[in-house]
Amino acid sequence: MVGSGDMHNLMPLQYGIVSYIDELAQAFLVTLELYFVGLVLGFIMGLTFAIMRQFGGRVLSRIATGYIEVIRGTPLITQVLLVYAIPVAINAAGIADLPLNWYFYYIDSQNRIAVTLNWPILASMLGLGINSAAYQAEYMRGGFASITSGQLRAASSIGMTRWQSIRYIILPQGLRRSIPAWSNEAAYLPKYTVVAIWVGVMEILNMSKTVIARTFLSVEMYLILAIIFFVFITAINKVLEITHSRTKIPGV
Amino acid sequence: MSIVLDVRDVWKSYGELQVLKGVTFSVGEKEVKVVFGPSGSGKSTLLRCINMLDPPDKGEVLLKGQSLMEDGVNLTMMRARIGMVFQQFNLFSHLKALDNVTIGPQRVLGLEREEAVDRAHVAIEQVQMTDWIDHYPAQLSGGQQQRIGIARALAMDPDVVLFDEPTSALDPELIGEVLQVMLDIAQAGTTMIVVTHEMGFARAVANEMLFIDDGIIVETGTPKHFFTAPENERVRQFLHRLEVLYGGQESVEQ
Ligand SMILES: Nc1ncnc2c1ncn2[C@@H]1O[C@H](COP(=O)(O)OP(=O)(O)O)[C@@H](O)[C@H]1O
Ligand SMILES: [Mg+2]
Repeated sequence: MVGSGDMHNLMPLQYGIVSYIDELAQAFLVTLELYFVGLVLGFIMGLTFAIMRQFGGRVLSRIATGYIEVIRGTPLITQVLLVYAIPVAINAAGIADLPLNWYFYYIDSQNRIAVTLNWPILASMLGLGINSAAYQAEYMRGGFASITSGQLRAASSIGMTRWQSIRYIILPQGLRRSIPAWSNEAAYLPKYTVVAIWVGVMEILNMSKTVIARTFLSVEMYLILAIIFFVFITAINKVLEITHSRTKIPGV
Repeated sequence: MSIVLDVRDVWKSYGELQVLKGVTFSVGEKEVKVVFGPSGSGKSTLLRCINMLDPPDKGEVLLKGQSLMEDGVNLTMMRARIGMVFQQFNLFSHLKALDNVTIGPQRVLGLEREEAVDRAHVAIEQVQMTDWIDHYPAQLSGGQQQRIGIARALAMDPDVVLFDEPTSALDPELIGEVLQVMLDIAQAGTTMIVVTHEMGFARAVANEMLFIDDGIIVETGTPKHFFTAPENERVRQFLHRLEVLYGGQESVEQ
């Protein structure tokens, strides 16, 4: 299989972390992909589960509750490993022939293949999204639950359907209110992207380890890695803060 | 005079608690009915039963002859024809005053934005809030919020508007402006059922007053009847208590 591991072999033996800057940047790009896709997927799924849990009636709310509890009660790493392994196992057992050996890439400045998407990366994105959805759902549900029942009665009184009340009254207010709590999840998720190592993704931590293997500069490399995450997460927090203040309802 | 709303033998309980025990009355076009009675007697429950926010256990509610309790009736469309004004205003806090009023015509009646805005302007003018349309609920006083609440109901062009103690959550100095608006729209011919203890308002515009106690209508009559010769002892006591409470003063001067 052609995958992210190939880059490892193509990397020239050099000393000094600076000479691996391209590789590190490439790997950070993968980290960014994992983060944003995981967060967005988690948002879409989380919103769905939050609505199901809060307004879905008996069956749907049970399903949502079950999902949230199972995900929150099991380690992220096993979720990612399972997402990765199930299709592989299906192929191995001959049940189906799922296409897992594809990849997207670009050619970097030194004419090397830089993989941007393959099955391990996709599986990690899905795993992160599936996991994050459970936490995001809980934060959003908290926001939805805080909308007063009086507003819902008012919505019914002007003839809104249940779905219209959710769409036009609860979501706009509930999502705004869940931003502060939701920000926790958005700021934690970058750190969790490193689990992708376990399915062989060459993200920033994996690349850092590779660089250390070549340069033996472990302390320096890990410090740089910490700084990269710190800057990244600080930037996310800043964006969220601005979003929160921009979406504030005047007078509230 | 044609009947707008017909309430027939409505019963409602919450668990063991029997709240409404057979309430019957009707409201004709352009009529104002004032409902009053002790706290906990079932006034709010009655209003919620009328627009099916809380469907009655038994009985019948007809809007212009059409039952709201029949199977297959489009309840949301029927509710759109029954306005409601709440004690706690219940404005949509993420929407400007204008949009609190346009959202119904736009989303429920399916009007174009411009039409909805035109309609909202008319309703907002009626409650004298034209200068405040760009304010959010939290930026408005209680009295202003309630007037927008009234405009929100009026903009739907309802057959009847239900008021549930619209001034009892207000500071005393803000009650007058809301009552004035209610007087204006009553005189403009709005069909209204008003739960209130503002006897000045009742005296000014009520075609009929209904005294409700313990889930039944105990006595009905004109304001004149109630203020001169109420028959029932409980009514007399209640009116006396109101007078003691408010010192005979009324927020509406006629
Ligand atoms: N949703 C509800 N669940 C249970 N009890 C209720 C509910 N709504 C009202 N009640 C009870 O019904 C009685 C009448 O209430 P309500 O209609 O609000 O009276 P009023 O508006 O005349 O003060 C009260 O005893 C109240 O506690
Ligand atoms: Mg009440």
